Amino acid sequence: MKRALPDGWDVEVEFATNGQEALDIVRAGNAEVLFLDLTMPVLDGYDTLEIIHKEDLPVMVIVVSGDIQPEARERVKKMGAIDFIKKPVDQSKAQQVLLEYGLITGDA
Amino acid sequence: MSETLPPISLTEDERDCYQEITNVAMGQAADRLARLLNVYVILPIPNVNVIEINEFQMTLKAIDDTSSVSAVCQGFIGAGIAGEALLIFNDSSFADIATLLDYQGELDQHGELEVLMDVANVLNGACIQGIGEQLDIDFNQTHPMVLGQHCKISDLINSQEAKWQRTLAIEINYTIEDKNVNCDLLLLFTEDSVRHMNRLISFLLDD
Repeated sequence: MKRALPDGWDVEVEFATNGQEALDIVRAGNAEVLFLDLTMPVLDGYDTLEIIHKEDLPVMVIVVSGDIQPEARERVKKMGAIDFIKKPVDQSKAQQVLLEYGLITGDA
Repeated sequence: MSETLPPISLTEDERDCYQEITNVAMGQAADRLARLLNVYVILPIPNVNVIEINEFQMTLKAIDDTSSVSAVCQGFIGAGIAGEALLIFNDSSFADIATLLDYQGELDQHGELEVLMDVANVLNGACIQGIGEQLDIDFNQTHPMVLGQHCKISDLINSQEAKWQRTLAIEINYTIEDKNVNCDLLLLFTEDSVRHMNRLISFLLDD
């Protein structure tokens, strides 16, 4: 996933191995954007998303998953994810999403 | 040749990599099944392990040995990699899956076999091709073969024992939301294949 991020994007990247770790980082106020997988141990992506939504945590969630069933995409969007990127992540798709939400500028 | 080589094993990075490759492939397979049956398939975290055949039964997390199961296997081969895909169906799944497939015939042993083959064609094929695509390998698949109907897992394994010593086993447990459908897709790779695949994925891990 990290490889798919735009070159020269001036951000700090932190990694979480499951949803709980991701929530810890988000709650600490250390994340503006969260790339969230769905199939994870401890706390999966759906549950993570639900907690973020319930607690109204200030983070933009982009789901990144191998679960390409149309249903998965619809569900996470309903749960507040701003977009869905399917695995394996295509760099231009990731850029397009970030561009669309103004997270990067065209000349980044 | 293989007796002079050390037994196969996986580093943590390699295991993660196989898990990620499987994750993508099983998602593609689930999508095919979901569209065919008009359902939502719940995806698990795939189990990736190098195992001895005598541990095989223990590694099957999803289906316990008391359940009655039916299974088909299907070989695949390409570019120095060979393995078997085993689809193990919990027998209690047949009623629901037959309804979802709109199967009109009587659900006797023959009917169940037809249903099993239909699902195996979708899941095995998509999963094997999905893994192949990511490793840039075009796998050829053999025809699916029935391993057994209404038997226990241990019976399935015993009949296969001679062929396998140590193997890379990838287990994917598919369930369907709100339905009583539970099946296990197992991908088993020969030792030489694993050595070769470890070289292939080292390129993915490198950059």
